[in-house]
Amino acid sequence: MAMRQTPLTCSGHTRPVVDLAFSGITPYGYFLISACKDGKPMLRQGDTGDWIGTFLGHKGAVWGATLNKEATKAATAAADFSAKVWDAVTGEEVLTLAHKHIVKTVDFTQDSNSLLTAGNDKLLRIYDLNKPEAEPQEISGHTSAIKKALWCNNDQQILSAADDKTIRLWDKTSSEAVKTLTFDQAVSSMEYIPDGEILVITYGKTVAFYNAHSLDLIKTVDAPTSIHSASLHPDKDYFVAGGDDFKLYKYDYTTKEEMESYKGHFGPVHCVRFSPDGELYASGSEDGTLRLWQTAVGKTYGLWKCVLPEELASENSDAIYCPPEIKA
Amino acid sequence: MKKAPVTVLRLPRGPDPNSRGFDPNSPRFIALCPTSIPSSAGEGACIEEEQRSRSELRERFLRTLIKMSNKPVNFDMYEGVQVRAKFGASDIDVLNFQVSELQTPIGVQKEALLRCHDMISFSFDV
Repeated sequence: MAMRQTPLTCSGHTRPVVDLAFSGITPYGYFLISACKDGKPMLRQGDTGDWIGTFLGHKGAVWGATLNKEATKAATAAADFSAKVWDAVTGEEVLTLAHKHIVKTVDFTQDSNSLLTAGNDKLLRIYDLNKPEAEPQEISGHTSAIKKALWCNNDQQILSAADDKTIRLWDKTSSEAVKTLTFDQAVSSMEYIPDGEILVITYGKTVAFYNAHSLDLIKTVDAPTSIHSASLHPDKDYFVAGGDDFKLYKYDYTTKEEMESYKGHFGPVHCVRFSPDGELYASGSEDGTLRLWQTAVGKTYGLWKCVLPEELASENSDAIYCPPEIKA
Repeated sequence: MKKAPVTVLRLPRGPDPNSRGFDPNSPRFIALCPTSIPSSAGEGACIEEEQRSRSELRERFLRTLIKMSNKPVNFDMYEGVQVRAKFGASDIDVLNFQVSELQTPIGVQKEALLRCHDMISFSFDV
């Protein structure tokens, strides 16, 4: 029997959630960090959404947040003109990197030794985390605020998306722009999939997929609403997207067909990402919540339990929570 | 045909209102941070002595906060700001100080929170 999606709502933030990121899979599971305009990024257990801790210290809205692969370090980018590096096990602030304007995006290299930052000062900065007092390498070129910057191609290159409606591919060693993509409208989000070298870009109502090396277009898919963020499943069979109409959309990547759409959020969806194992995806919204959604609806995983109709009626159903019917 | 909603075991746990989390008793914390005391020496032998010194300093700091209660305190903040207020209490993470009768260049604020990150030093008469 077909099951209806039950998203898990993670509450705690008091303002819009603008960015989220998963760690890799660690011996302790995988983790999720959320960036929020309330200035208090939170760490959660990735498969359950259980709150683990809040990183306290920023004095303004946090626009970007990321975890390293092992989930031992976190980095955040904020409106208080700083990026901070945190110990993701103890929650302690490890480093504050002062900038000259709002910082929007942060990304660790695979070995966690370098941190890439960018924001409204239009510069990309690379910090050596083993020598944080040293001046960062700076890469200039964008003519407006940078929204997102990511390491790619084995941390040898950098992809950046800015309000100047371009996405640029930079060589780390030469600091030169290797390729530029120009659009008619501002890019709202960018995701890099190392396995397969795919770049997922959203702008307007479009989700576009590019080769991350050549920046050749693979395909575009048009959605019913303005899309703020999209994420490709690790197996590259589905992708999910969310935006202005509060819904989450799930598409077949191969056929480009819309498979499902889900209501749940009470505000526009700002960010969406698949978990590293592809079993769920998380969305962050203007409504201040994160929601976890199952990729295979009805599967037993995390807090979701596959219950057969006979079990529901039996006496063993005490421990099982049946969500109330919510008419949207 | 109406679909049945997927059942869940429970809802995700939310934040603890009294703490910033990162439970030191969690398996991950215990495995990755055997000692939560960052030792400057990095040598095992010095950890005990360092721990003793840190405990002493921490106790002194906490006793100072107690002694400061309801007393007028001078705060030296960044940007050359100096204010005086009656100290009330600190929050558990020493991120904010609750003060009253905060004297500012634009008047006296009856009740206020001062951000500890903004302070360089503070002093009071014992």
